[in-house]
Amino acid sequence: MAERPIIEIKNLSKRYKGSDEPALKDITLDIYPHEIFGLLGPNGAGKTTTISILCGLFAPTGGEIMIDGFNLHNELDQIKQVIGVVPQDVALYPTLTALENLVFFGNMYGLKGKSLKDLIMDRMNVFGLERFAKKKISSFSGGMKRRVNLIAGLLHDPKILFLDEPTAGIDVQSKIVILEFLHEINRKGTTIIYTSHYMEEAENLCSRVSIMDRGTIVSTGNPKELVADHPEFKNLENLFLHLTGKGLRD
Amino acid sequence: MFKFISAVKKEYLLLLRDKAGIIILFIMPMMLIVIMSLLQEVGWNAIAKEPKVEVLFVNNDGDSLGINMEEGLRSSGFFDVIDSVDHASVTAESARAAVKKGDYLIAIVVPKGVTKSMRANVRIAVAKTLSGFGMFNPMLLNNIAQKGADTVTLYFDPTIRKAFKNAVVSSIKEFNYRSETGMVFRSFNSEISKQFPAYKPAEIEYKESLQFKEVFPNYVEQEEIPNTVQHNVPAWAIFAMFFIIIPLTGSMIKEREEGSLARLMSMPVSYIHLLLSKVTVYFFVCLIQSFLMIFSGIFILPLFHVPMLEVGNHIIALTLMTIATALAALGYGLLVGTIANTHQQAAAFGAVSIIILAAIGGIWVPVYLMPTVMRHVAVISPLNWGITGFYNIFLRQGGLITIMFPALKLVAFFILSVLITYIYRKIKSPLNI
Repeated sequence: MAERPIIEIKNLSKRYKGSDEPALKDITLDIYPHEIFGLLGPNGAGKTTTISILCGLFAPTGGEIMIDGFNLHNELDQIKQVIGVVPQDVALYPTLTALENLVFFGNMYGLKGKSLKDLIMDRMNVFGLERFAKKKISSFSGGMKRRVNLIAGLLHDPKILFLDEPTAGIDVQSKIVILEFLHEINRKGTTIIYTSHYMEEAENLCSRVSIMDRGTIVSTGNPKELVADHPEFKNLENLFLHLTGKGLRD
Repeated sequence: MFKFISAVKKEYLLLLRDKAGIIILFIMPMMLIVIMSLLQEVGWNAIAKEPKVEVLFVNNDGDSLGINMEEGLRSSGFFDVIDSVDHASVTAESARAAVKKGDYLIAIVVPKGVTKSMRANVRIAVAKTLSGFGMFNPMLLNNIAQKGADTVTLYFDPTIRKAFKNAVVSSIKEFNYRSETGMVFRSFNSEISKQFPAYKPAEIEYKESLQFKEVFPNYVEQEEIPNTVQHNVPAWAIFAMFFIIIPLTGSMIKEREEGSLARLMSMPVSYIHLLLSKVTVYFFVCLIQSFLMIFSGIFILPLFHVPMLEVGNHIIALTLMTIATALAALGYGLLVGTIANTHQQAAAFGAVSIIILAAIGGIWVPVYLMPTVMRHVAVISPLNWGITGFYNIFLRQGGLITIMFPALKLVAFFILSVLITYIYRKIKSPLNI
């Protein structure tokens, strides 16, 4: 890829206070514009830590990170303008309505007025939620909450979208809608960095993946090419199990 | 500014939707004030209005000293003098037995002939004095023997406090001195009349030449005697304002635990702005709380026959004092909410620390009733600074100058709390502040 990476990670490390083992060990990774990049790995591999650092939520212990040309250490404000984050948890206010939640998060990106409300209703329409705009989040099903959670992260049409297991624990219908939408915004230019436990989903969705284990990247590449490079494995899941082992994780 | 207003609106909506929280924030403090005022009104009356103590009185003297003592006890207003029980006159033995049994706290036994003895002793003293002037024939006293001191016996229940016991003994002694003084006057008049038949003693009623005036030192001439309401309303208003720590830290930690804070921290908005939006909403909660408390003191408590709250004449001082107290409470809430890891930690530490600060700060028991050591400890509590300021307004009719020092201390506490919160957050999460 001749294009300049939109995310450059060099020698990234992270050790949590009081922890014996580092959560991330000397990770170096480039992610390019318009990619759907998957971070795959078992529990405790370091996926969420990586995404949290890229979003500025945690400070790294070491290493350099550039996002869209901005240095994470001293240009976080500029970075926050171009990224969108969809956390693993349903990070919404249960006692507010879907509309109130989305208006608030939109406001935090500087969006306001009728244009924001139109945008929200448009997105809710895409996700089949327009009828529920004025219902409290607490009355939503898990799948509906996930969809609102996703909308909240991309109201400002971010250049880069981070998704931490966006399809975990939801029904197939919700999953299809979410994945189709991600494809669509990716086609329009959004770079997507995504974590998941679902290998088949990642294989179909991602242009490239990194398989992480115990704080390191054990393999990176196009999922189909990775499988092709290892003909002894039928699919990405088998390769994943080969690379990370079958032992249970904490 | 737009983001800040939006965050304030969000906080307002979250608060508004929490019906139980609203009841806790607004209704329960009012109930607290009413209940505490009613409860303490009883205790206050016990101290301030001094209910009468029943005293068994055995007057074996039957003469002027015994009669004067009995009248003195009755007219003091502190004692209910009882000389018969079950239609039987109280005797020295029955009085002793009744106190021993715990039926009565005090019994006083005036011995037989005590007035006579006193009168004889007075007469001897007067005669000796007048004889120095050659006005009295000492031979007349030959048949009067000098008497030894008689004993008035006082029986006390062992539970009676030493201070109260001393007060009773002092009162008895005072009645004795009065009787003796009267006898001395009368004896002088009598003897002088005998020497000078033309002398007509004037009917002079002896009056005490020294009076004692009890004054509460106010800044104006009008004297306001503090009552239980004037302590309870500001005290529990401050307590309730500081208890804002529970919903405030709850809101902060809930936002953190539910992941909303993490989402917000990935957005172009600062942590301090988010905290200030909470401060703004809860600041108005504190103001409404204190308004409702004062409203309770003025309009609700009198319905329960409890004195009405006198708010003084300095509404601006009252407003500034309320603002300063609210800021201190919110600053403390922000600090605890930032440092605590879990809702349980914040709730437990927050509640217990406020109760301790309230206890040492004179919220539960006014500082002037505390032991000396605790009075010195009290000044470290921000709740004490608050109650001091409100006392200055409600009890001492003070204005802006009198509340300046406690108000400034409260504002300084707010600034310090926010500063520590900022530093802690900066250390904990250096990228997002």
